[in-house]
Amino acid sequence: MKETIYQTVCPGCGIGCGLYIRENGNGSVSIDFLKSSPVNLGKLCRFGMKLPHYYSDPSSGKVEGLVSGAEEAVKAAASRLKNAGKIAMLSAGNTTCEEHIAFTRIAETLGTVVHTGIPVYPELPSECHPHLEGMPLAEIENAEKIVLFIDPYVQYPLLVRRLLIARRNGAHIISAGTKELHLAHENRDLSPEQYAGLELDSNSVIIADVHPHTDSCHTKQLLNLALETGARIHFMKPFINSEGANRLARDKTGMMGISHIMDEIEKGDIKTLFLLDSDPIELMPDSDRTANALSKLDNLIVISSRDSPVTEIANVVIATESLYRKRGTFINAEGKLRENSGQEVTGIDAMSLLSRELGSEGFEYRQLHGHLHEKMIETLANENRKPEYGIMECAPVQHNGACTLKYLFNPFMWANQPDDNDFVLLNMNMVRSLKLRKGGMVRLDSEKGSMKMRYRVERVPDGMILTARKLQVATGTNTTVKVEGC
Amino acid sequence: MVEIGDKLLGYATNPDVRNRGASGGLVTAVLAAALEKGMVEGVVVLKRIDEYEAIPVITDDVQEVLASGGSMHAVPVNLAKYAVGRKIAMPGKPCDVRGVIEQAKRNGVELEDTYIVGLNCGGAMHPVVTREMLIRMYEIDPEDVVGEEIEKGKLIFKTKDGEEKAISIDELEEAGYGRRENCRYCTIKIPTNADLACGNWGVIGELAGSATFCEVMNEKGKRLLDNAIEAGFIEVQPADEKSIAIREKVNKTMLKLGDEWKGRLLTEIPDQERLAYYIEQFADCIDCGACREVCPVCTCGEDSKCTMFHSLADNYKMSMYHMVRLLHLSDSCIGCGQCSDICPVDIPVTTIFRRFADPAQKKRDYSPGMDLQRPPFLELMLK
Repeated sequence: MKETIYQTVCPGCGIGCGLYIRENGNGSVSIDFLKSSPVNLGKLCRFGMKLPHYYSDPSSGKVEGLVSGAEEAVKAAASRLKNAGKIAMLSAGNTTCEEHIAFTRIAETLGTVVHTGIPVYPELPSECHPHLEGMPLAEIENAEKIVLFIDPYVQYPLLVRRLLIARRNGAHIISAGTKELHLAHENRDLSPEQYAGLELDSNSVIIADVHPHTDSCHTKQLLNLALETGARIHFMKPFINSEGANRLARDKTGMMGISHIMDEIEKGDIKTLFLLDSDPIELMPDSDRTANALSKLDNLIVISSRDSPVTEIANVVIATESLYRKRGTFINAEGKLRENSGQEVTGIDAMSLLSRELGSEGFEYRQLHGHLHEKMIETLANENRKPEYGIMECAPVQHNGACTLKYLFNPFMWANQPDDNDFVLLNMNMVRSLKLRKGGMVRLDSEKGSMKMRYRVERVPDGMILTARKLQVATGTNTTVKVEGC
Repeated sequence: MVEIGDKLLGYATNPDVRNRGASGGLVTAVLAAALEKGMVEGVVVLKRIDEYEAIPVITDDVQEVLASGGSMHAVPVNLAKYAVGRKIAMPGKPCDVRGVIEQAKRNGVELEDTYIVGLNCGGAMHPVVTREMLIRMYEIDPEDVVGEEIEKGKLIFKTKDGEEKAISIDELEEAGYGRRENCRYCTIKIPTNADLACGNWGVIGELAGSATFCEVMNEKGKRLLDNAIEAGFIEVQPADEKSIAIREKVNKTMLKLGDEWKGRLLTEIPDQERLAYYIEQFADCIDCGACREVCPVCTCGEDSKCTMFHSLADNYKMSMYHMVRLLHLSDSCIGCGQCSDICPVDIPVTTIFRRFADPAQKKRDYSPGMDLQRPPFLELMLK
């Protein structure tokens, strides 16, 4: 009857929902509801409800495909890193602040930086960066007008209740996305030239997100809108510690987006990739192409708390404990510091050993946590800062073609979770013009291939096909496709 | 030796347990004695994290049971699912007990192996709402609270500097605080469906605050109490007529209040508006399935009827998941409030389900979770 109960944070997105993980004697895991968590009141979305599955593949250490202990894996990693050329290090924010700081220390030893994979940071002027930090979610409830550039129902479900409270408090909600939202008073598919018609002011809140595939031009347009109207802007983040990882990065100008890193790998300019709980095969929209590019690396070294596609092909895997067992902290999308009750520090110990193997000093949890407090605590409370940036110019990317297949969920989120989103969304006009049968299939052809999918009717723009699941025919977050009934 | 039907006043013999427990530690001591003497393999206890948070834990450690205790009105959990597949003893509010009995009807729990010490319940509060209420209504720092109590229609908080502040529950609820919505219209306040029905209602005079009123409801309750007395864990004495009358008076007052709330919240929906009402209520559902997962009367597991006919690809105006669940729960919903608590988009699921189930249960004079005698009216009881 022995159970171990961990108080932890959901790794599904940057909201940072509190919950309990129960581990019973035979190692099986279940969830329980932490109703006193002010972030989520114990509520969880469909990702959180399926966490036992997410945690069902704990990582195992490997060197050249053979199971190995931590010390052996660390030594093999050190040997490869010492002889490597240009090294790219990626930590997207899927682990604790303390592990991220440890990884950054190794990057300093290796003379490189830790990329968080989000391209808007290097592509936007540094004076914009503080405005990419989130605001307290409770403040959304008091806004008079809210414009949504995300779909909260599918991307950040625990935001929905905040928006419904705002609506009950009298807020007018406009969805500026591609899909009609029930909670919005207006659903408008807007071009940037039409943003002025939103009539925002200082009592308005713009809600968008930044993630590994965010178009920085779109982010600039939203920051311009906030600047011109005085509206507050809140950016959601995709991973449990995206906010922490990006706040911890001292110099963001040296960072690269994940697509840029993959381009460099494909060109052969990067030959060594070192990952901390970040899987490019999951993060990139085209998994096949990504796996193929990674196979060209001389060194693929992974520190990971769970098995994933990249741990299958890595030269070295340094295994750490599951996220809920880790001792450490996370910073959520509103800047709140959240803490695990777990006390395990396998990951930090491994990185400390690696640091020593590379000729630098080791470190322990307390030092790393102390660093976090020195550098971060004073900046955790996001104030309504006065913009210090100017209007930015940008030219949006045009998507040509008869139809565009677009990822509805951020394709990198919620990897390895069972879901039944085995259909695409399209509108009634397309169903009629393609003469699709009710309950039938639609065929999608892209330069990458062809496939059949079930469909559901939604009010989306003509020519738009939305998918919540990664599809074989997709080449990016937007893919030009030809559509036929079948 | 006690007898079925006895109404007693009792307390733990261990002074620490007696002082720490909300009403003399009788419940804690009875549970610990059941474990100590091998009546059960484990006990479900609430492991206190702070005044507003506790986590149900199943323990086989007598000391851990003895270290638990104290009322926690701001910890709204239902313990029924923790009993599934185990030979345990547990404390339980009336809705915990109802959950266990509904599980037993569906063979999820073997009732003969499950001992339930019922606790009177006037209602539970949500912890985050309670914190906000303390700041706004009581002007107390939530971190300063060391205890709470409900007495004479007032919710009383005690602070670490020894002060007490009381506000009437009516006033709190009019302001949107106080008990959860489902607790307000709950109609079972004394858990007569448990093996023992315990609480502080009717404990008066010098025993007030340091003893528990306990009614022996059945043979298992008698075994529990005899075991605890024999093990030297508790002492009991017969309750006098005045105590019994006061307990009944408090119960009647609470039930009257519950009926009033029921009239306000579970109003009948005209036939022509019913479908539109349910479609609108569930329109923001994000398909997490948490309401099913947390439901203490659901025994279906992975292959449930509500998910079998449901697909995200469907274009129905209201998902089959909700329609099947509304029907399926019409004979078993006990109104415990867990589904409302954990709904990520704040759909008042319990009230919606109660509005659907109430007329059907009323028509058949059927109250789920009260005993094993009557099978669920939509299905056979498995035996």
